[in-house]
Amino acid sequence: MNDPRGQHPDSTTSPINRLIEAFHRLPGIGPKSAQRLAYHVLRAPEEEASDLADALIEVKRSVVLCERCQNLTDTNPCRICLDTGRDRTIVCVVEEPLDVQAIERTGGFRGLYHVLHGVISPSDGIGPEELKIAELLTRIRDVDTDVAEVIVATNPNLEGEATSMYLARLLQPLGLSVTRLARGLPAGADLEYADDVTLGRALEFRQQV
Amino acid sequence: MPSRIPRVTKTAAIVLKHRRLGDADRIVTLLTPHRGKIDVVAKGLLRSRSKMAGHLEPLTLTEVVLAHGRSMDIVTQAQTVEPFAGLQRELELLSTAMYLLELTDRFTVEHADSLDVYELLEASLRRLSRGDGVTLVTRLFELGLLASTGFRPELEHCLETGEPVAAERAFWTHRGGGVVSEAGRASHPEAFALDARVLRVLRAFQALPYEEAGRIRIDPELAGRLERVMHEFVRAQAERELKSAEFVSESRRVSLGSTDAVAGGTEPV
Repeated sequence: MNDPRGQHPDSTTSPINRLIEAFHRLPGIGPKSAQRLAYHVLRAPEEEASDLADALIEVKRSVVLCERCQNLTDTNPCRICLDTGRDRTIVCVVEEPLDVQAIERTGGFRGLYHVLHGVISPSDGIGPEELKIAELLTRIRDVDTDVAEVIVATNPNLEGEATSMYLARLLQPLGLSVTRLARGLPAGADLEYADDVTLGRALEFRQQV
Repeated sequence: MPSRIPRVTKTAAIVLKHRRLGDADRIVTLLTPHRGKIDVVAKGLLRSRSKMAGHLEPLTLTEVVLAHGRSMDIVTQAQTVEPFAGLQRELELLSTAMYLLELTDRFTVEHADSLDVYELLEASLRRLSRGDGVTLVTRLFELGLLASTGFRPELEHCLETGEPVAAERAFWTHRGGGVVSEAGRASHPEAFALDARVLRVLRAFQALPYEEAGRIRIDPELAGRLERVMHEFVRAQAERELKSAEFVSESRRVSLGSTDAVAGGTEPV
């Protein structure tokens, strides 16, 4: 049964139905989960429900794309772009805003970012013009730019590789160093199950111990 | 007595594409020799410790073990047979390979007998990967795929009158599906005069085995004209835009620099 309002719609009042339907529209939320979330909100203190509602409204009203790096931000330019302590000669290009958070968590990168908001994927109807590539080129061509290196940190899959190679072709003629995140075995991996391409690259780019 | 569906099957497959399913799973579209095109579920593929992720990437020839599922089979094991690593070294090769995958996906239907198409795709990816000419491999793939799936272009006889058409006096219609003569053109107002060299090469590609077709000399200008004719033709037959065809042209443009874009530039065919 796909009606997210459950088996006894008459037993619930209209505001509950509205909330269940709203949760059901979220990605990955099925009808049962939508019901559970709605009843959780109903049973929670009013303060918790208000916090949730305020957070939802605030995120829609205040979050925009940073005019420089295209990351999601509530200040424009974003805090990372405005941080004078960061290295302005290196830009790390990522697919999605969540990738910025993942790299920031490592604590090992102090340069700037550029978010493409996707990856070249012809089978999904996404070509270079659907991504924030023009914005990256404008940024790099800016006369005041200090950028000397672009790290392409797209995912190591077919679409990520195609995007990375395409960006390299566009950026290298501008005199930049274009690098790619290293590709090898993940922590805790098992050689026996590694695919040929990953194992081959791990061997090719092996390091002195 | 109806035959029982085995619980577990093993098959070779070329991975055409995948899409996300929930937090960590993927639906993977495979082209198999004997079951045609199928969608299967691969669980946990997005987790960094997945043992199958690298073996189920698009553009990989892989051997999979499938457990029979209610709506879709589930991949329980995958082992790469051929990663076509040579294709990932150059943008033009990679974009061309993506085009072959998208064409295959568009022109095949699920669970239909596709052995011809499977063999054609495997051979074409191997040829591209070992460095054979992109024009030769791609045009032969397009013509072979169109023939196997019922969209074979008519290159010799007028679509209207059925008379043989000389290459110098041929008109071409993407929508009609091939050549028309001067007399047949009245029924195809969209038909346009086609470069005789383009038609001669396409005729040779359609008739000759791969090795012999490979002896035909094609300069960059002619290659550009062949590409534009065939891209438009497959677009018309697929009745939709093919993003990968645009990406092939764009990749070549950035590889050569915009001033040296494919010979002929935007000149109409």
